[in-house]
Amino acid sequence: LTPAPDGARAQEFTFKLHHLLSAQAPAHSRMLVPWAEQVEENSGGRVKIEIFPAMTLGGRPPELINQVRDGVVDLIWTVNGYTPGLFPRTEVFELPNVFTNDPRAADLAMNEMLASGALADDYKGVEVMFLHVHAGQAMQMRDKLVRTPADLAGLNIRTPTRTNAWVIEALGATPVAMPVPDLPPALQKGVVDGAFIPFEIIPPLKIQDQTAYQVELADEGRLGTTAFQVSMNQARWDGLPDDIKKAFRDASGPEWQARVGEIWRAADDFGIGLAVKAGNEHVTLTPEESAAFAAALDPVVGRWVEEVKSKGIDGQALVDEARALIEKHAAE
Amino acid sequence: MTSETGAETPPRRAGWTGAAARAIELWALAGGALLLGVVAINAASVIGGVFGAPVPGDFELTEMGVAVAAFAFLPWCQLTGANVTADIFTARASRAWTARFALAAAVVALFFALLLLWRMWAGMLDQREYDYMTAILSVPVWWAFPPILVSLALLAVAALVSLVEAAPVAAGRAPGAGSGPA
Amino acid sequence: MIDAVTLGVGALVALVALIALRMPIAYAMILVSGLGIAWLNGSALMLNQLKTLAYGQFSIHSLSVIPMFVLMGALAAKAGLSQALFRAADAWLGRLPGGAAMAAIAACAGFGSVCGSSLATASTMGRVALPELARYRYSGALATGTLAAGGVLGILIPPSVVLIVYAIITEANIVTMFMAAFVPGLIAVVLFLGVIALYVTLRPEAGPRGERVSREERRAATLGVIPVVAIFALVLGGIYAGLYNPTPAAAVGVFLVWLVGTLQGRLRLPQMIEALKETAGSSGMIYLILLGAEMMKIFMSRIGLPQETAAWIAGSGLTPMVVLLLLLLALIVLGCFLDSLSMILLVIPFFWPVLIELNGGIYQGAEGSGFGLSTDELNVWFGILALIVVELGLITPPVGMNVFVISSLAKNVPMIETFKGVAPFFAAEMLRVALLLIFPGIVLFLPRLLGG
Ligand code: NA
Ligand code: NA
Repeated sequence: LTPAPDGARAQEFTFKLHHLLSAQAPAHSRMLVPWAEQVEENSGGRVKIEIFPAMTLGGRPPELINQVRDGVVDLIWTVNGYTPGLFPRTEVFELPNVFTNDPRAADLAMNEMLASGALADDYKGVEVMFLHVHAGQAMQMRDKLVRTPADLAGLNIRTPTRTNAWVIEALGATPVAMPVPDLPPALQKGVVDGAFIPFEIIPPLKIQDQTAYQVELADEGRLGTTAFQVSMNQARWDGLPDDIKKAFRDASGPEWQARVGEIWRAADDFGIGLAVKAGNEHVTLTPEESAAFAAALDPVVGRWVEEVKSKGIDGQALVDEARALIEKHAAE
Repeated sequence: MTSETGAETPPRRAGWTGAAARAIELWALAGGALLLGVVAINAASVIGGVFGAPVPGDFELTEMGVAVAAFAFLPWCQLTGANVTADIFTARASRAWTARFALAAAVVALFFALLLLWRMWAGMLDQREYDYMTAILSVPVWWAFPPILVSLALLAVAALVSLVEAAPVAAGRAPGAGSGPA
Repeated sequence: MIDAVTLGVGALVALVALIALRMPIAYAMILVSGLGIAWLNGSALMLNQLKTLAYGQFSIHSLSVIPMFVLMGALAAKAGLSQALFRAADAWLGRLPGGAAMAAIAACAGFGSVCGSSLATASTMGRVALPELARYRYSGALATGTLAAGGVLGILIPPSVVLIVYAIITEANIVTMFMAAFVPGLIAVVLFLGVIALYVTLRPEAGPRGERVSREERRAATLGVIPVVAIFALVLGGIYAGLYNPTPAAAVGVFLVWLVGTLQGRLRLPQMIEALKETAGSSGMIYLILLGAEMMKIFMSRIGLPQETAAWIAGSGLTPMVVLLLLLLALIVLGCFLDSLSMILLVIPFFWPVLIELNGGIYQGAEGSGFGLSTDELNVWFGILALIVVELGLITPPVGMNVFVISSLAKNVPMIETFKGVAPFFAAEMLRVALLLIFPGIVLFLPRLLGG
């Protein structure tokens, strides 16, 4: 388990990659496993990445970032939003009207901003391999069809992150925090009227059984998204020889980032397909209806800009840059 | 007859062990009061939920409150011998040997308490430095740590009390005196 | 490098040795795994993980029901409520041979339907029923064995913390899991009652008949249970009507018990303080064990024991059913040493993917599958089977948590007697596992009926 002495051929560098989802989640089988295999291949077999799913190396998901910073594990895949306040700059990509509908473009944009240093202060103590988002929060409703923001007034909506809570508030609904596993029973019993989550969560939680409507804005438009990272312990990274670093970098470049966007889009498509097959109504709002949501959500961006000001961050500059880069990559 | 976990008649303690025992008992009760507070928040949230106004952040307050309370219970567990042991293999051991086992357990508890105190102090500094907050109420997570560090210090004290009380019996002196952790 | 199996077995042997030498189980787990991880990957790693591990473990939301239901049980005991539950069951069943023990099982089932933890059920009902069984001159083995076994109904009858944790790991629907657990839970109650009937037929002196109860007394005992039934109905009813999840339900339960006890004048400040001290003792003990279990899980994952076992099984070419039996057997063996929650946390993340593969993939339908079930149904069925066998670990020596809890309540009964008394219940559980293995429909019919 420790690096073999110099001269040993096979697997000189072993890494433990720790994450929170189960081994059958697409994030594990379609993203992390292929990425790890690519790194191993690039290194000519000198790197071995052992993946530990479902927090099998201990702790709770919010601890993943501490674990990689402290070297308890070498690599992690985690949800930025599980530790609110730790990644204020990257949060820009989670905002509605900044992230709209294209995970591929957003992935390329956020990694470009990471490389340029605009997000660097969020990631002290870790070396980011790549950042990504999921396909975006859609409105998954128990029994109320939502076509206008007014339809959401007074409803209880489950929230996963703080920016998502702001989205819910901006639409006149009440954000309710609860762990993901509590969501299906809460939906079934009407404790919450809906959740703003990606379609990709439908299969693992069987959301199709507890909801009637899957609603998204025009052109696969969503109400913001969630940021994720794959990161390595800084000291471990700094101690690697250049050719091994290159093996990691080559496996994580723009081509891969674009691929990650497609993987999450495909998982999302699979989820909504399952819901439709189960008899749920998949509603895509008209451009006019969608514009009403965009207008209602615009204050969320302003609220965020105002909030990060207290941390000495120029939020508006980040918003402008993120939008410009997303637009650039979407056009590719 | 039956006796209840954590509520046996405590050995007579005087001097510093008596004071320590009293402090540990009060600290455990403070943890219990905190647990009652968490109960109140959740009950209020249920009642509020019926009227469409659940308590915001009840989820994260529950996590934090129960964690702090659970740490406050640990010294009391040590002091009253509430931590489960299997006496099946040593049911016929002499009183001196039983005390020796208790002594070893107290040493492990003392070492663990001090180690965790040191490590969670470092953990608290991390939480402060990186600005960890809860999701809804933005409560700094490190606020939970000072009472936990007090709990761990008291756990060390409780382990020391067990150690001091088991030592004479383990050494074969003071037959019948003391009552180490079961 | 020593291989994973040798290391894992060595660690388990060290663990058992320490436990045998009266090391508290939590500290034995912490010591073995802490030293093990430090030896394996360096002490710096272990020290760094300890910065957050304990707080993370203690602040798991789904575990917060444990101290609340322990507190509810302690308050209910002080207020005489769990007593009333037992009295009413006893008034109806007590005249039968072994009737008071049967009443204890019935009362455990009632308590288990609002309590998600076996330990809390065992300790709460143990406090109530053990003195009564002693008064009726029940044998120590039958009395403590009944309550140690009855305690597992806390997990078997929903809500169940272990089932929630399982559902989280395998991404099963929690409502479905609860529905699936219901009928097997009732079967457990029936089988346990049968065990007691058989026991006292063979050894009448172990469970004497209770005193004759007059019609008035029976009526009074039944009326005395009304506050309990009302509280239980409000708590359970609240969960099923969708007013609240288990943690708020526990909070409502605590509040209602406190209200009834206070109105009846039984809960004053001294009783409250006693209840809080008991809660502190029981919950602190459980949380420390959860921390030890988490560290054991980390150690086992790091040496690669679960992964290696899963890989070996997948590559062995055994039939799906044989693999399932082996997995259940492994859980029973592990259950001798570990507590149920830590076993689920340790083993399921590695075993469940193996079963998925054997069944034909995550989206496999019933047709052409390895087990003749869709993977969704396999998930539910395996979850209930796993729940039963890990719960068996609570009553198997040397580490049987329920037996320890009951033993700490009945100090005059040697633990070996309790293990003897619990053995027939263990046999009944094996019968139940066999039933559910042969007839998956027992598990699946309610979810199929209600879930669509
Ligand atoms: Na239960
Ligand atoms: Na066991």
